[in-house]
Amino acid sequence: MLSVKNLTKSFNSPSGTVKALTDVSLDVDTGQFVSIIGKSGSGKSTLLSMLGALDTPTSGNIQVDDVDIAKLSSAKQTAYRARKIGFVFQQYNLIPNLTALENVMLALEFGGVKSKERKARAEKLLNDVGIKADQQRRKPSRLSGGQQQRVSIARALANHPAIILADEPTGNLDSETGQKIFELLHNLSRSEHTTIIAVTHDLDIAGKTDRTFNLKDGKLTKLVKS
Amino acid sequence: MNVISRGIKNSMRSPLRSGAIVLMLAISIGLILSMLVARSSVNAKIADVKSSAGTLVTINPAGINGFAGGGTPFTSEQLATIASTAHITSTTATLSDQLGSTDTNLTASLELGSFGERQQRFDNPEASSGSSTTTTASTTTRPAFTPRTSVTGTTDPNSVATNGGTLTISSGKTIDGSSSSLTALVGTALATKNNLTTGSTFTAYGKTITVSGIFSTGNTFQDSGIIMPLATLQSLTDQSGDVTHVIAKVDSSDNVNAVVSSLKTAFGDKADITSEAEQAAASVTSLSSIASLALAGVIGATIAGAVIVLLAMIMIVRERRREIGVIKAIGGTSQKVVTQFVTEALTLTVIGAIVGLGLGVLVSGPMTSSLVTSSQSSTNTSTNTRGVVPRAFERGLGQLNTNITQVTSSVTPQVFASAIGITLLIATVGSAVPAWFISRIRPAEVLRSE
Repeated sequence: MLSVKNLTKSFNSPSGTVKALTDVSLDVDTGQFVSIIGKSGSGKSTLLSMLGALDTPTSGNIQVDDVDIAKLSSAKQTAYRARKIGFVFQQYNLIPNLTALENVMLALEFGGVKSKERKARAEKLLNDVGIKADQQRRKPSRLSGGQQQRVSIARALANHPAIILADEPTGNLDSETGQKIFELLHNLSRSEHTTIIAVTHDLDIAGKTDRTFNLKDGKLTKLVKS
Repeated sequence: MNVISRGIKNSMRSPLRSGAIVLMLAISIGLILSMLVARSSVNAKIADVKSSAGTLVTINPAGINGFAGGGTPFTSEQLATIASTAHITSTTATLSDQLGSTDTNLTASLELGSFGERQQRFDNPEASSGSSTTTTASTTTRPAFTPRTSVTGTTDPNSVATNGGTLTISSGKTIDGSSSSLTALVGTALATKNNLTTGSTFTAYGKTITVSGIFSTGNTFQDSGIIMPLATLQSLTDQSGDVTHVIAKVDSSDNVNAVVSSLKTAFGDKADITSEAEQAAASVTSLSSIASLALAGVIGATIAGAVIVLLAMIMIVRERRREIGVIKAIGGTSQKVVTQFVTEALTLTVIGAIVGLGLGVLVSGPMTSSLVTSSQSSTNTSTNTRGVVPRAFERGLGQLNTNITQVTSSVTPQVFASAIGITLLIATVGSAVPAWFISRIRPAEVLRSE
């Protein structure tokens, strides 16, 4: 269960204080696939970074399984990210000089998985997302965009996270590949019972998620679908 | 793959750039090693010069110079005064004499020549009286002059060596300078002339002397002479306790002037006292400037190396800002990221060090020689402009210059350890600032830059 209460995030800029998020509150049940839509600069990525403990809010709290992650120390936030959160980025963000397999093993290392178990586990994860054995030994530059995003999803799933945060996961893909990636995420939320929160511009994809929130000027203006 | 192996692998991520960084580091580290070697060698030579040539004080009875001049030899009491002077660690005492044809059965090996005849023109009483009674008589009426054989009685036979080191004994064994035995070392030329070998005997001063060994100095005058224990010659010539030449060794070159001053006070005008301190000081000054130059080189090359690593790592960190953000976002701690980048810097530095140390070993010898040779030429120039160098020091000064060119440029374990220590310092300093940059990169930036 994810519960966000009165979340506010302000930034100081030369022109004064800018409120990226204002009094945002939402609840997401475990295993739900939720989408957040909004225009550029509406605060989608800021909300995602708060939920992923990448940044700390100015005020408000974020409860994940009864733990307020906004109040965790820096070290505990790092551990939280390693074990409870999986990230899927628009530009995949795989480490370029590591193979697909090594990228997934890296996340397993940070999650505290023993070195002997990492390889087999990474191979299984990559197989599950449709990356074949020969593709697993390739570096990201030798994989297609869709394949890289699959590797990214396998990396996000590595430590059985409670929540997967996806920032425009299909933004860099053609519609057909984007559809396949969406289906992969959708199936995962069902089979692994993993909560998925995806930020997207694609209203078609947003329409297929369990719930959709709309962010406008840092405020959660309306619940599009529930 | 752990954080260390990732760091090592990352160091070769861009072979061209890594190669350039390694090359720059190698040149820097090679220069550091060369300068350390030069400094170490020069410092060793400075210590050597200070402890040998620069610490010798020569004391002659006033007016006596070898076999020439005139005056009264030192007595054993005066010798004791010299030996007991503060800072004098040892003395070598010598008594010089010459054997004429009536003193020995040996045939002198030295050709008299016109120079020798001129020196003896007053010595031959018949020639002298002939000259006075028949003032217009031709010199052809004079009896033939006879060459003489030099005899050196010394407490240290090595003092006769012309190379400033140990006397070369070509056969037999050396003599004990402190004994009073009837033994002698015979120069090769004299031995050849008289068919003397080890164990042979000859007569001198009415006594039978046994040849202990044959020595060779490469100097015709010396090789035509005889070396005996000091006490033996004193006894044979009825000059008990007499000494015509003393070389005193001072504990440090810093005390030479004080010793010379003390001796001059003690002996007044009865002794001629000179030291090599001035020449040694000139040599040491030029060597010291090389040591300072080498130290400046070490510091400069170290700073250059650290700056190379620093700039390279700052460039790498800035370039991989997003990657660092991703690693932190997926649960990598700052320590792990810093460790990975420090390992990367260390790998580049170690490769640079291996190449650089190899390079340094190759160039340190020629570089040290080059530095010392240029210094030596300036020393010679300054020596010549000072005017006439006393004959007694010509040999010592020549030896001093020879020593300078023989500065050993060997890479000692200490120098090598210093170079490795400096290399690690370069890697640490070069990584410290990038590590600070890494710690400041917030994982949220990975989303913000999307």
